[in-house]
Amino acid sequence: MARRLLTAVFAVLLICMAGCGGPDIADEDWLEKDFSAARAAAEGSTVRFYMWGGSAQINEWVDTYLAGEVREKYGITLVRVPMDASVFVNKLLTEKAAGREKGTIDLLWINGENFKACREAEALFGPYAEKLPNYNQYVDKELAAYDFGFPVDGYETPYGKAQFVFEFDPERDNGRPGSFAELEQWVKEHPGKFTYPQPPDFTGSAFIRQAFYAVTGGVDQYLKGWDQDLFERNAPKLWEYLNRLEPYLWQGGQSYPKDVAALDTLFARGEVDINMSYHPMHAQNKIMEGLYPESVRTFVMKEGAIFNLHFNAIPFNASNKAGAMVVANFLMSPEAQFSKLRPENWGDFPGIDVSRLSQEQREAFEKVDLGEATLGAEVLSNAAVPEVAAEYVEALEKGWEENVLR
Amino acid sequence: MSCASAGAGRTLFKLSPLLLPLIVLFAGGLALAAAQSFGFFLPFPYEGGTLDAYRKLLEPHYLASAGLSFFVALTSAVISVAVGAVVAYLIWRLPDRFERAVVIYKVPLILPHIAVAFIVLVFWSKSGVISSIGYHLGLVETVSEFPSVLFSGNGFGMILAYIYKEIPFTILLTYAVLKRMNPQQIQTARMLGAGEGRVFTRIVLPHMARTLHTAFIILFLYSFGAFDIPFLLGESSPGMLSIEAYNLYFRRELADRPAAMAILTCMFLFSLGFIWLYTRVAASMKSRERKL
Repeated sequence: MARRLLTAVFAVLLICMAGCGGPDIADEDWLEKDFSAARAAAEGSTVRFYMWGGSAQINEWVDTYLAGEVREKYGITLVRVPMDASVFVNKLLTEKAAGREKGTIDLLWINGENFKACREAEALFGPYAEKLPNYNQYVDKELAAYDFGFPVDGYETPYGKAQFVFEFDPERDNGRPGSFAELEQWVKEHPGKFTYPQPPDFTGSAFIRQAFYAVTGGVDQYLKGWDQDLFERNAPKLWEYLNRLEPYLWQGGQSYPKDVAALDTLFARGEVDINMSYHPMHAQNKIMEGLYPESVRTFVMKEGAIFNLHFNAIPFNASNKAGAMVVANFLMSPEAQFSKLRPENWGDFPGIDVSRLSQEQREAFEKVDLGEATLGAEVLSNAAVPEVAAEYVEALEKGWEENVLR
Repeated sequence: MSCASAGAGRTLFKLSPLLLPLIVLFAGGLALAAAQSFGFFLPFPYEGGTLDAYRKLLEPHYLASAGLSFFVALTSAVISVAVGAVVAYLIWRLPDRFERAVVIYKVPLILPHIAVAFIVLVFWSKSGVISSIGYHLGLVETVSEFPSVLFSGNGFGMILAYIYKEIPFTILLTYAVLKRMNPQQIQTARMLGAGEGRVFTRIVLPHMARTLHTAFIILFLYSFGAFDIPFLLGESSPGMLSIEAYNLYFRRELADRPAAMAILTCMFLFSLGFIWLYTRVAASMKSRERKL
């Protein structure tokens, strides 16, 4: 804690120093220039990376591997500033509203509704994505074109990939459902053994989205953006489905775990037999931490599993845009993505398209031991279904409270 | 009377360097909360009408939530005060050599509320300590047959946590009062033929009454508005008012913030009204007693 505080204080000091002096690379228009120019200008500069700081493992990866690599390769000093996304987005929007031309943030780890909020407030720099060689070389541009249904338009570059999975323990001998129709059957046969975190918890919200796709005939109809009529026509099917489950849920549906951590505990103690996570390696990590038995496995439903990319973005007023571009570019490199994938480092799936890599690199990616509990990349990519527009997310969370909870 | 109020005025004046900032900050915050509940001074454009937030609170969901908060606060305060008073009396009657041993009752006082919530969680959940003891003793056949104490929609989990924490609080307060009581009063009553129950209700209880009233008000209002225990042990629907306000403020759309402020304003007004009503009732009880 004390170390964290010191780091934070140090970061603030550095920010002040950088704001007061040093070579001024903010004024150049990097969208007009070659990447090599940005790379040359970034030498010796400092990049302040604002990111969610809630995972010790991720923090360590950024502080050691990432900071070390960019220092060695590009002479960039990387300062990690831990902060919840909603907080730094607020900060950025305030800076924008106050007309502050030189901001304190250089690079953001962002996605979903936070990206949408920043884009709508025109608080981001870009379109810069196509300036970055690794983006052009390794990223599946079609896949990275939307972030929660909101067009990216080159204002973000992918960083990693997450996917929604379920977890169960074959040794408990209760089997597992293979689809949402079977889930209803399973829940009725095993009363009290299933529940989901209470939306708007991130994972609980993803679960009801997943069910929404499944009981209303697939995700494709929602990909054209927000459609109120369509939602109102289809949503009742979801409420009926969830209300049919409710009497058979944990505590008879009287209560829902308040977040996914609470559900993890229920699962670990055997109160419920199925768990869920928006992180495909979650079960493996829990086994490695000794919280789950070795026998726990993950699975996906027949109707598919939602995935999303998470991204990096650069604020409109970043004082070191060149450095931020260099770091964002490095994050899309095969070596950074490879290091990030290894479960002992972080265990985050690649945000780049592995099939574009050389034979040798691809084999290295495939050889990474994701652990027995993790599903193979092929199973996951076959099951992948996209996220839909953020309006659906909000409407579903609200509707769930009114139609299912009460 | 006038002399007393002049004295109070002087005290207030002397305290003003401390009181003024307190009043400004406290009253300022309260005024801002109230204003925001009517849709003013919000940091975002709000389209609702002045009373929309309050109208929203009339939905059955929020009424149920208020009912649950009231029930949990009342039950836990009544049980804590009743049990605490009796236990304090029993401790007081123990021979002196036990005096050191009974300090164990103070342990829950040191624990933070959140720790107490965890203890209740560990002991009373379906997969918890009590349930596995029951399983090993053969009282229940499977762990899931254990009755749902927590999260079953009636607030028992929270009540358990509160009484665990609050009984010692009542003991602490009332024991101090009892220590000042003259034991000869009781001996006299006994000699005159009063039974155990009569001694307690006619001598001990009136002696403790004022403290018990104070303890009750403190405990009731604390559990009515607290956040930490409901956060861990509370039900989803209806939730305690504090949790509903938290969810509306932090986890929902910006447009829901006036409703959160309306809950807080109502809770504040209710607390004031409760103190006023309770002290009046307590005072009238006392005067009736005197007449007897």
